[in-house]
Amino acid sequence: MADFLQNCLDGIATGSAYALLALGFTLIFGVLRRLNLSYGPSIMAGVFAGTALYTAFNAGLAEIAIATVIGAVVVGAYIERLCFWAIRKDMAVASMVSSFVIWMQIEEGVTLLFPDRTYAFPGILADAVVEFGPFFLRASSLAMLAIAALAVLGLLGLIYRTHFGLAVRAVSENPEAARVAGVNTGLVTLLAFACASALGGLAGFLIAAGDEQITPLFGLWATFKGLIAMMLGGMGSIPGAVLGGLLLGVVEANALWYLGVETRDLIAYMLLFAVLTFRPGGLMGQAALMARRAAESRV
Amino acid sequence: MLDDHLIGVLSNMGMISFIALSAYLVLVVGEISFGQQAFFAVSAYASGIASAMWGWPFLAAVLWGAAVAGLAGLLLAIPTLRIRGLYFAIATLAFAEMVRLALEIFTYQVEQDGELVGPNGSEGFRDIRYIYEADISAGEFLLVILALLAATLAIILWIERTRLGAILRMVGEDPVLARLQGVNVNLAKIATVAAAGLVAGIGGALYAHLNTYVEPKIFNVMLGVHGLAYGLIGGLGTAFGPLLGVALDIGVLESTRAFSGYRMIVFGGLVAVLLIVRPRGLLDEAAVYRIRRFLLRKHAGD
Repeated sequence: MADFLQNCLDGIATGSAYALLALGFTLIFGVLRRLNLSYGPSIMAGVFAGTALYTAFNAGLAEIAIATVIGAVVVGAYIERLCFWAIRKDMAVASMVSSFVIWMQIEEGVTLLFPDRTYAFPGILADAVVEFGPFFLRASSLAMLAIAALAVLGLLGLIYRTHFGLAVRAVSENPEAARVAGVNTGLVTLLAFACASALGGLAGFLIAAGDEQITPLFGLWATFKGLIAMMLGGMGSIPGAVLGGLLLGVVEANALWYLGVETRDLIAYMLLFAVLTFRPGGLMGQAALMARRAAESRV
Repeated sequence: MLDDHLIGVLSNMGMISFIALSAYLVLVVGEISFGQQAFFAVSAYASGIASAMWGWPFLAAVLWGAAVAGLAGLLLAIPTLRIRGLYFAIATLAFAEMVRLALEIFTYQVEQDGELVGPNGSEGFRDIRYIYEADISAGEFLLVILALLAATLAIILWIERTRLGAILRMVGEDPVLARLQGVNVNLAKIATVAAAGLVAGIGGALYAHLNTYVEPKIFNVMLGVHGLAYGLIGGLGTAFGPLLGVALDIGVLESTRAFSGYRMIVFGGLVAVLLIVRPRGLLDEAAVYRIRRFLLRKHAGD
């Protein structure tokens, strides 16, 4: 039982990183109703921008964090223009494939500029540990969890309490009607994409600072973990993204402990496959999916 | 005769064409699969086990591998019937990764002549020695690949000209309308995904026997995405489309080495731009119609 509880704490630690990644994913899906598989690589490119600043100029943490966020936003904007803005609205799947091939492009571009396997990244709170009786949790994970919680509140406030959020929801519901009502849909989409990329850049900065290193494989990891976490929680659901991230982290930590490292990823994909086939809306998005299906069948 | 490098390139093109055709079949019924490499992998292992461990003849091993891959296709198709679009695509991705990670654990070895033979988890599966034992040259094996590819292509092209082909395209265009026309949409999808598994399986069996060694990490997502991208570049109007995609990528980008180091950047950009200007590829339905009309007119003029 003690093992299980410690596993759950470890799971929450990694799960908070997954939750942050899933939040950006779900924001993009919520607005565009399309998947951006290049989300992880765009974050990876941002983190490499931060690492370049660190190794070349030994910059401070704040500058590195800003460079990471700016890098992720710039690459994210490139993806948005090429894979989403330029492709017709009814071709959701074409956008997804396009974002997948752009992933390869970003990954190769970064590997050409940074040919080594790993690069150093400045750590924050890397060794600090918070103890609860016999159990312990890394302080950097607690910080990530707190930031994920703040991000959820911030996003909910942004989407449901501001004029910009109203425009985002209008574009998400019906882009054509939003355009007729005077919303600049292209700009709103681009800004929402930039928000998601900035959030991703922040997540990438925190994860890289917790690990004190970065590799080009981070893009693949971030996309897959964020995608699984979002799908578990429900595509487009903001609380679902956090729930899915934490659930994935806890399941993985226990699978690692009881079944070994080869089985851990297998269990994660089996969970994803089971959720997709039995409850495609995820844990929190089923009602929204069903409502959308009902609306489609009426049309 | 052809030199070794050319034979190698052509063999690779032939084998990857099976994945491209397999992804194309799923595209025809209106779904996207990121997971056709799973069937390639399943058949590579199954046929390798049959020929190296059970002593089956080559052709029987290839057919067995393809049949097992077809069964795996059924296994994917039935639970995913309810989901479409993005959800189906991610489910195929999850399925393929499940297969790859299961192969990382899968161990089944027997002793042969004092040596252990068979799949050994992440170490891979060595000594699928059929082409050494039967003394088949790379050139001869290329002929086997091309013959099987030509036969597969001929069957697909023939089906596309029949009523069945029209039904499958109808399912891909609009499943609701197809159902209203009395088409059994579920059956069409299950059968197509299983057939796609079988086609990828032929390629996987050939791959295992040509390379004599396979390991799970070869069958990663990038293999499947390439297979999918070939259909999208080459065109979804005809089964020649995916082959055109293969020829453009491996034949031009990889072999000329003009873009070595930048190949993924060029390839990624090419696909992204094509998806914008020609979302159904170079040989899309309109292009195929124009080419067919042109050929018929020329024929009538003779």
